[in-house]
Amino acid sequence: MALIDYRPDAMRCTRCSYCKWVPLDLVKSWRYAKGCPSVEHGRFHSYSGGGRLITYLSLLDGRSEVTDRVVDIAFKCQLCGNCDVTCKVCRYDMEPLAAQHEFRFWLVEQGRVPTRYESIIDGYRRRGTMVGDPNTLVGDPQSDGLRWARDLRVKDLNTDRGEVLLHPGCRFSYDGGLGPVARTSLEILQEAGLDVGVLGAGRCCGGRVYHMGYRDDFTTAAEATLAAWEAAGVKTVVTLCADCYHTFKRLYAERGSSVEVVHMVEMVARLLAEGRLEFTEEVPLTVTYHDPCHLGRQGEPYVPWDGVEKKIFGQAVVYDPPRPRYNGAQGIYDAPRDVLRAIPGLELVEMERSREAAWCCGAGGGVREAFPEFNAWTAAERVEEARSTGADAVVSACPWCERNFLDALRGPRGGDGTGVAAPFQDSGVAAAPAGRGVAAPGVTAAADAPFQVFDVLDLVRQALPRKGA
Amino acid sequence: MGFTPEVYKLFEDIVGPENVSDDPAVLDSYAFEVLADLVRPEQSHYMPRPVAVALPGTTEEVQALVRVCNVHRIKVKPLSTGWYHFAAPQSDEHDTLQLDMRRMDRILEIDETNMVAVIEPYVIAAQLQAEVMKLGLNINVTGAGASCSILASACAYAGQGPMAYWMGGNAENLLALEWVTPTGDVVRTGSLGSGAGWFAAEGPGPSVRGVCRGTFGSRGGMGVYTKCAIKLCHRPGTTEWNVHGTTPAYRLPVDDLFRVYTLAVPSWDAWADLYYKIYDNEIGYIFHRQFNLAGANLAPAFWLMYNDHTKTLGDVEWMAQDPAVKELTEEMRISFQFIMAGRSTGDIELQDRVLDALLQQVGGWKVERFCEDDMAEFTNMYLQRLGHKHINYVWAGGYVGTWMQIGTPDWVKNYIPIASAGLERDAADGLLVQCGGDAMMGSGSGFPGGGVTGLEQFVSYDANDLESTRAAVRHMEDAVKDAASHGLPPGKEGLYLELSKTDEQVHAELAAANQPAIFRFQRKIKDAIDPNDIGDRLYATLPPEG
Amino acid sequence: MGNAIGRAVDARDALAEIVRGEHVSDDPATLAGFTRDHSDELPIPPWFVVRPGDESQVRELVGWANATGTPLVPVSSGPPHFRGDTVPGRPGAVVVDLRRMKAIRRIDRRNKLAVIEPGVTYAQLQPALAAEGLRVVTPLRPRAGKSVIAALLEREPTLVPRYHYAFPEPLRNCGVVWGNGEATYTGEAGYGPPSLDAQWAAGMRQVDPKGPAQTDFVRLLSGAQGTLGIVTWASVKCTLLPETRKVVFVPAHRLEHLIGVCGRLQRLRLGEEVLLASGSLLASLMAPMREADRSELPPWTLVVGLAGRAMFPEECLAVQETDVREVVADLGREHGLEVADGLPGIDSDGMLEILTGVSAEPYWRLADKGDCREVFFNATLDKLPDLVAAALWLAEESGYPAADVGVYIQPQQQGVVHHCEFTLPFDPADADEAAAVRAFHTTAVERLAPAGAYFSRPYGPWANPVYARDGGSTAMLRTIKGVFDPNNVLNPGKLCFR
Ligand code: SF4
Ligand code: SF4
Repeated sequence: MALIDYRPDAMRCTRCSYCKWVPLDLVKSWRYAKGCPSVEHGRFHSYSGGGRLITYLSLLDGRSEVTDRVVDIAFKCQLCGNCDVTCKVCRYDMEPLAAQHEFRFWLVEQGRVPTRYESIIDGYRRRGTMVGDPNTLVGDPQSDGLRWARDLRVKDLNTDRGEVLLHPGCRFSYDGGLGPVARTSLEILQEAGLDVGVLGAGRCCGGRVYHMGYRDDFTTAAEATLAAWEAAGVKTVVTLCADCYHTFKRLYAERGSSVEVVHMVEMVARLLAEGRLEFTEEVPLTVTYHDPCHLGRQGEPYVPWDGVEKKIFGQAVVYDPPRPRYNGAQGIYDAPRDVLRAIPGLELVEMERSREAAWCCGAGGGVREAFPEFNAWTAAERVEEARSTGADAVVSACPWCERNFLDALRGPRGGDGTGVAAPFQDSGVAAAPAGRGVAAPGVTAAADAPFQVFDVLDLVRQALPRKGA
Repeated sequence: MGFTPEVYKLFEDIVGPENVSDDPAVLDSYAFEVLADLVRPEQSHYMPRPVAVALPGTTEEVQALVRVCNVHRIKVKPLSTGWYHFAAPQSDEHDTLQLDMRRMDRILEIDETNMVAVIEPYVIAAQLQAEVMKLGLNINVTGAGASCSILASACAYAGQGPMAYWMGGNAENLLALEWVTPTGDVVRTGSLGSGAGWFAAEGPGPSVRGVCRGTFGSRGGMGVYTKCAIKLCHRPGTTEWNVHGTTPAYRLPVDDLFRVYTLAVPSWDAWADLYYKIYDNEIGYIFHRQFNLAGANLAPAFWLMYNDHTKTLGDVEWMAQDPAVKELTEEMRISFQFIMAGRSTGDIELQDRVLDALLQQVGGWKVERFCEDDMAEFTNMYLQRLGHKHINYVWAGGYVGTWMQIGTPDWVKNYIPIASAGLERDAADGLLVQCGGDAMMGSGSGFPGGGVTGLEQFVSYDANDLESTRAAVRHMEDAVKDAASHGLPPGKEGLYLELSKTDEQVHAELAAANQPAIFRFQRKIKDAIDPNDIGDRLYATLPPEG
Repeated sequence: MGNAIGRAVDARDALAEIVRGEHVSDDPATLAGFTRDHSDELPIPPWFVVRPGDESQVRELVGWANATGTPLVPVSSGPPHFRGDTVPGRPGAVVVDLRRMKAIRRIDRRNKLAVIEPGVTYAQLQPALAAEGLRVVTPLRPRAGKSVIAALLEREPTLVPRYHYAFPEPLRNCGVVWGNGEATYTGEAGYGPPSLDAQWAAGMRQVDPKGPAQTDFVRLLSGAQGTLGIVTWASVKCTLLPETRKVVFVPAHRLEHLIGVCGRLQRLRLGEEVLLASGSLLASLMAPMREADRSELPPWTLVVGLAGRAMFPEECLAVQETDVREVVADLGREHGLEVADGLPGIDSDGMLEILTGVSAEPYWRLADKGDCREVFFNATLDKLPDLVAAALWLAEESGYPAADVGVYIQPQQQGVVHHCEFTLPFDPADADEAAAVRAFHTTAVERLAPAGAYFSRPYGPWANPVYARDGGSTAMLRTIKGVFDPNNVLNPGKLCFR
């Protein structure tokens, strides 16, 4: 596809601005009605999903030129997909999210990218991972990404063959601060008797460069990864990262991959349902679950389509064959919740914006890398919402979300978070005293602890029967 | 005179550089408007481009911007959420500063005891409704839906909708108002100006808002409304908003004190009779002919498709051929949605009895499939929140409302056959969506307590198809002619078409109005209140005399 | 003829030409009827009184007034007048007495609409409507000669808050001759041809009050005291005539105790007539009344009318009554409130007669002592107890016994706005009493407005202090006056148009 292919979407955009809000039926308060971080931060209409369509239409129509402002508009967005969900509440002929991707590809091809992008993509090309870049602030690019598994007996699928691949993703591989999630996952899979292995260093899925607009770099990464999988005989990939999940499930599938893609929370839910896993330990916490964009509304299964627009009833726009409808209806929402609800002593409360209407953590779409202030602002908003539920902790199923929340709570390098201004109103988040109010994930949960951030697997680990008990 | 870099600097000084832009691409996101393609040269989707867009955060900032524009003779065009061409600059000849009011987004007060809320322009209906519902209260969400500004609907646009029958249109519900006039002065109407709070709209003496808030409001053509109070009303039953279901067809459980029906009648005479009887019996809470927007031939198939998230628009084609759906299509050919709410169990039960008796009197019935739990919950969700109004554009991204002349049910029923025949004829060549001649939708009453209704013909065209767009324009012109040939005034299409006309053409039409003196008065009002002509012509006037 | 007498002769001739000779009067007795009223406005005799018979005559009169610079004072109701708004504010004014225009032009049962002329009174309209199964909601016991249109234009409160969606409900569309002589129709009638007959022939009705266009003309006329235009006809929304009726009472020792119940009834839109009244007001309304009953009346009463109409009227009334009793039981419990079927000397039927009829002669407000003054303002329900206390304190301070003040609170606009009215009957021969009443009346704005009383209808001496509080509205109203009555011929000297 090319940007011109999305001209009809722009022409058919009604500027209704639904894409600025969560689906209107789901609005439960003034405070948490807004759904698009980009337009709330950038303010002008152009920073909304629909606004971007008009922006590129104006460029395609020769009415305006690519300015620094246009570049800012195109890239200062998490590609979180809320706009896509809300637009499609009423529309079958619009693809605002795909169009925004295409807008970026188009600009990247012209070399018009945000200033920080150059060093980021340069670092990625050198290291083969997004983590460890100076802009991303955490992670250890010197490690081989397998330190977490060092004393475990596990197949190395670089050299061995195995049907199940555990793919922790760059963030869990390199960001030691995120705790033993990968390790716990591996243990669970092994105990379930699966033929599981891992692939070593530098194996980035490429999803994040894709989101930044570097389609060719992504293709290179995807081809290399698919080749490695094929060589190892991988039939199923279990991933811990929502970004990787989406990349494998949708983007790789689009490129012909037929490997089954499972997120670890789905795997745990499956094992629980089959009675192959049991929780015995109480985790006395009230938590709220944050749906990662790429596992939730963007986590829908890929449906191949190669069709054309056609008209019925004279002018009604449909597609032949029917075009798959990615609107968030079939995202992965229940599996993580089922897992959390199965944990003894744990109470799950919902944020107002949840499931397909979740507010983004802020990290996606290259924003964490290129626009740290916007990223922090977005995360602070989510943390505030999570806290407003009265929960002790926010739980997610994606290391990028978790890292972002941790940074929002205590500053990216463990500082006091100063400079993280809460959106919309004084939140108290930014004002939290240094280091307090934060617990690193992986630390055993305690109900009287300050607000905490967990991965679902952190809590799963605590709920599993004590070894040797 | 006009816009210069120095003026831009003044704007920056007022709102801060981050809140003003003159980047052409940014400006185009304000010039681009739905319906522009029907009125602009060459079916362009762009209205005139503003010279800059500014985002004021306070009334004082609005005043300061307006004053600068007075000095430099720049037109000022405010928008709240900005969903159609009226919200954009209207003049190609003049420089226009677009004000995007989104930073003024606070609910300033919800006074439960006195049933009053005070809001700023960028509070959308969904937000205010969500907040007042926590208190068992409700607002009139206008026909434009939950994404739209309540202040704009109350002060500057029509403000009616499915809920107006019980809750009042927002023209009626507007209480005190803070208004930055075109010269940058602040007028606080009603009780507010006297320092007595927000509750009273009128006085002291004559009601000042009378100069700018008529049938349509001034649509951004007469200064900027910066705060207003809105009358709230009761909502019986739960204060929880227990929405559930899978996108896009969310569902809202029907509370014990509510009833949600789709009602059908055998003829348009029976339709009018039933409307009158409903008014007389004072039953009902939300009263709207909603689902027919998809066209009487396709509506049942469309809504059944919509309620199954595994289906997509193209499925309507075969679903409409299903014998059971065909039967349903005939069953609900003349139908409307009706939600009743009781203040008590006794009240709702009595309303039910009354409704049954009325249906019997007119030979009407409840459409059972649409009264089953799934569809009732969907209908309940749809009409309580009006969060799906963008579905108006579902067929092809282009929709224009025609007809909708407001009047009594007896008056409205007379133009339905004309409007239906007109759409059937104009869609025959396949350049408009063919969904049945009757794609007419509208409120049970545009005024509280019943009395006036109106049905709007939903004309769908492909906004990405020049021929289809042109067909829509032709249909608008035809609708005006069809109406005129039956002695009827133009409907909504007339309002829209006005934007395609030159000043001279508009003036000629106003001069030929039944009562042109009205537009002479509006001219005098405008001359007095907007001496530097910074408002646009949506505040309709005859040319200056002499 | 250049001298004063000459001008008068010219004027008489001109007026006689417009309205025909017998409808022009300058005989002293007639002029006296318009020289003063039950207010403290300076008595100024009009020059002439003219009685136009139709709209074209009104237009000609206004044209003549503009040409000659003669003030016109439009009057629609018969005496007694109370507010000073019909007393000329300038010498040399011509009173336009509209009582000859008293046709009920149309009663439309299906649309529940009456189209009437300004001289139509409640006493005239109500029986005509009843014959069609309709009725119009009235103010509290209007005097027999009260013009329906004048009452509604002046935003007199009406008794059924449920039907009062917004001011100036139930007034819908008007035909107006503006101060500059132009005539238009307001509301949806403004879109049709300028002839009611033509509109009716085309199937148009005059239901929607908004507009036309960007202007809400009827709201400009409301509360205008005849300073902007003269209304020549109006459509008035009616309701079905109830088939079964009843009134219940909720007595209380303190006004505060009734606030919650009253608010809840508004919120639920429950009840037909709903009003709050002090014992003294009820006594005036029910007069003549036995002294024993009078002294036993509760200090405060919430009066709730119930009505059944249309389908199942009996059941409709029964459900309402059950619901009212439930609200009182629920919210009144803490104050020991109960629903009563009657009060000493007042039963349901007696109260119904008061609520649905017009006043006997003399007008009930004057019956006690021969004269009275009223002070009234708008407020929100929650502020009423404090404002009432402040007003009664002011009465005492002014030398008028608070216990004799009749307090009437009428919820309007479905409970958002409350009309709060104090009636002070006095004996005009009793100079002390009259002075006390006058003191109360003239200081009311100054004393009560800062506490939150909103004087939305600033008659006579209230205009200056009210407009002094609101410079923005004052400036805008003067602008509006300049548009509609550029030569200031309509009722000059009223409101902020001095
Ligand atoms: S992208 Fe979709 S939701 Fe956003 S403005 Fe356009 S049509 Fe509306
Ligand atoms: S993807 Fe997310 S941040 Fe970007 S425009 Fe859409 S809703 Fe906004």
